[in-house]
This record gives sequence, C-alpha cells and structure tokens, in this order.
Amino acid sequence: MKQHLGRQSGVQNVEVSLLDGKVEITPKKDGQIDPAQLLKAVYDSGVTAAEMDVIARGKIVKDTSGSLALQVEPNRSFTITPSDLSKGLEALQDTPTVVIVRGQLYKKPAGKNKADPSALLKLLILEVQKKE
Amino acid sequence: MNTKRLALLVLLGSMVMPMAQAQIKHIEMRVEGMT
Repeated sequence: MKQHLGRQSGVQNVEVSLLDGKVEITPKKDGQIDPAQLLKAVYDSGVTAAEMDVIARGKIVKDTSGSLALQVEPNRSFTITPSDLSKGLEALQDTPTVVIVRGQLYKKPAGKNKADPSALLKLLILEVQKKE
Repeated sequence: MNTKRLALLVLLGSMVMPMAQAQIKHIEMRVEGMT
C-alpha cells in the first residue's frame, strides 16, 4: 500500500504505522494532490480506509450548489459540512482571506465493511488553525 | 504604456498569488485490514 500510495500524483512521502493503522501522506510542495485518488489507491491495495483527515490551506467560496466550500486549487474545492466551526467561516466567503484548516474529508459509514472510494468527499472542519 | 503594463501585472499577481499558496498540506488516514 505504501508503494502504491507513493506512486500517486503529487505525493512526496508516505509513512505507515502498522501498530495503529495510521497512514501519513506528505504532498509535494508544488504538487496537486487528489484525496479521492488516494482513497481509491488505498481501496485498490486491498485495505479499507476508515477515516481521512487533511490540513489544507485555501479560500472560502460558494460552490456550484450554493454551499460553502474550501477552494484548495483553482479547479478543486471541497464542500464544507455545516457546523458551528463552519459558521465562523461564512463571513470570509469570496474574500481574499486564506485560511488553514484541519478537517475530516472521509469517514467510513458505520456498519459497512468496505469503504466507498467514489463517495463524495465533504470537509468537516475540526479546527481553524490560521486566517491570513 | 509601461505603467499600464506594470499595473496589470500587479493586479494579476495579486489575484494569482493567494491561489498559488492554496494547497493541501498534510493528509492522514486510518486504515483497517492492514497486515
């Protein structure tokens, strides 16, 4: 799985902890990384992804459906799951302010043995680390 | 003419720079079924 993940576009380094099943992925500094592709790569390796958390830097925008989203690349944004923390970001929508957030992009649905790699990734904000 | 070009460059730069800095900085996953 480590080799499979390491071959994915935009991946700089992969660290796997067999003890607790934790996989840490460091993206390339200038690379574009696709979390959905990583989730699929894990699935293709024969293991199940239970959770995926990210630390991302981006701008708060409204997506095509009118929901709040974090735009991390010009053509990539993640819809933000409404929460108390996301309410605090609404005022930054379509402003030049850049935020750094820690959030959960994927969690395996309870009761399912296999993860669905095609599931829509929505960002549940866990922590707003910085506003610039 | 040069002033106009410079102003245009500054404007474009200010629009592009924040997005150039936007990125995913770290990803952490918890997986099951690993041997």
